[in-house]
Amino acid sequence: MTTLTHSQKVTNRLKPGTSLITLLAGFLFLTACTATLPPTKEISAAEQSMIDAEQARVAQYALPELQEARSKLAEARTAVLNEEMEKAKRLALEASAGIKFATAKAELVKAEAVNSDMKKNIRVLKEEMQRTSGEQQ
Amino acid sequence: MKLSTHVNMKTQKKRGLYLSKPLIMALSSALLLAACANAPKSPDGAVAARNRLVQLQNDPALASRVSVAIREADNAVTAAEVPMKDKAKSDHLVFIATREVDIAWAQAKTRQLEAQRAGLNERRDNERLESRTREADRATYAAAQARTEVEEARREIDELNAKETERGLVVTLGDMLFETGNAQLTGNAFTNLEKLSSFLNKYPQRALVIEGHTDSVGSESSNQLLSQRRADSVRQYLLQQGIASTRLTAFGKGESYPVASNDSTSGRALNRRVEVIISK
Repeated sequence: MTTLTHSQKVTNRLKPGTSLITLLAGFLFLTACTATLPPTKEISAAEQSMIDAEQARVAQYALPELQEARSKLAEARTAVLNEEMEKAKRLALEASAGIKFATAKAELVKAEAVNSDMKKNIRVLKEEMQRTSGEQQ
Repeated sequence: MKLSTHVNMKTQKKRGLYLSKPLIMALSSALLLAACANAPKSPDGAVAARNRLVQLQNDPALASRVSVAIREADNAVTAAEVPMKDKAKSDHLVFIATREVDIAWAQAKTRQLEAQRAGLNERRDNERLESRTREADRATYAAAQARTEVEEARREIDELNAKETERGLVVTLGDMLFETGNAQLTGNAFTNLEKLSSFLNKYPQRALVIEGHTDSVGSESSNQLLSQRRADSVRQYLLQQGIASTRLTAFGKGESYPVASNDSTSGRALNRRVEVIISK
């Protein structure tokens, strides 16, 4: 009801037809405004994850995965400078997911190494025993 | 003015509805068909991510370890599956979904490997234990065997009536082995010599020195010869029993080494003898 009276006022002031265009433009401006804020939260979260991953020496075990995430984070920063805020936010989120994956992969590689080491030790013990029991005969 | 046109349209619509019901039905079914043909599809990437997630969920041994990661991946995949016109947004959601599934898989495999370690540790401990047990068994066995061997050797030496001297174990074979003045072995000899040969067969590292001795009856040179022949007879017998010739040395010592007086019959009997010295 109020919008109706408002548009009526506008119609009274301006030529009919321009009212709709003004409204649309205003709406577009508003939505654009919400996206012009840089995704500070997403970018700093990705940066913190990157620092954690570097401290955990993830690069040693999952270098390509970490590098992909690193370049996504750099792209996100560039997108902020270009004021492509939605793109920046997505890139930052992708970087975070990439870092999380690189970290998980590094853990897997390490776990595989530990287990295969353990298996090797068992094999050596077994062989040693077979050798000594062979000597006994 | 605007309001009035709106009302007008509404009445027109109502009228239309009343006028041609079959037309509306045909239209709506056409719309339905069109909707079917253009059925919104999930992006391929999302379908692939869903398949990999389902694969993980279907492996209870893996899935049970990473329920949180699976829930997160499931949410991400569900978001990516929604069809949308915004390609960039769709690609972004597919990327996130794919990574979340990757993360869940990597974590699941890591957890599984970690869980296997208890078993691996147990296997290693068992191997170690077994190895040590065997080693201990071997040591016990070896010690027991050595002890048995020593005891057996001692018993056999006792049976041979051997005496321990500086030169080694000395077994004295009395003169009842031979006829007087003869070097032929008599039946009595064999029991003693058999013991000796079996002892030598058992302890192949031991060698023998066989020494013949006589009493003072007769000439010294003939006694020397007789003592040599008697020692040789014993050596010959042992050779026949399969003892290597390199282990057997025979000497004739003549009458020079009496063990008793040659003045009495019993003394002379003791002097007629073959001594076998077993090296250590």
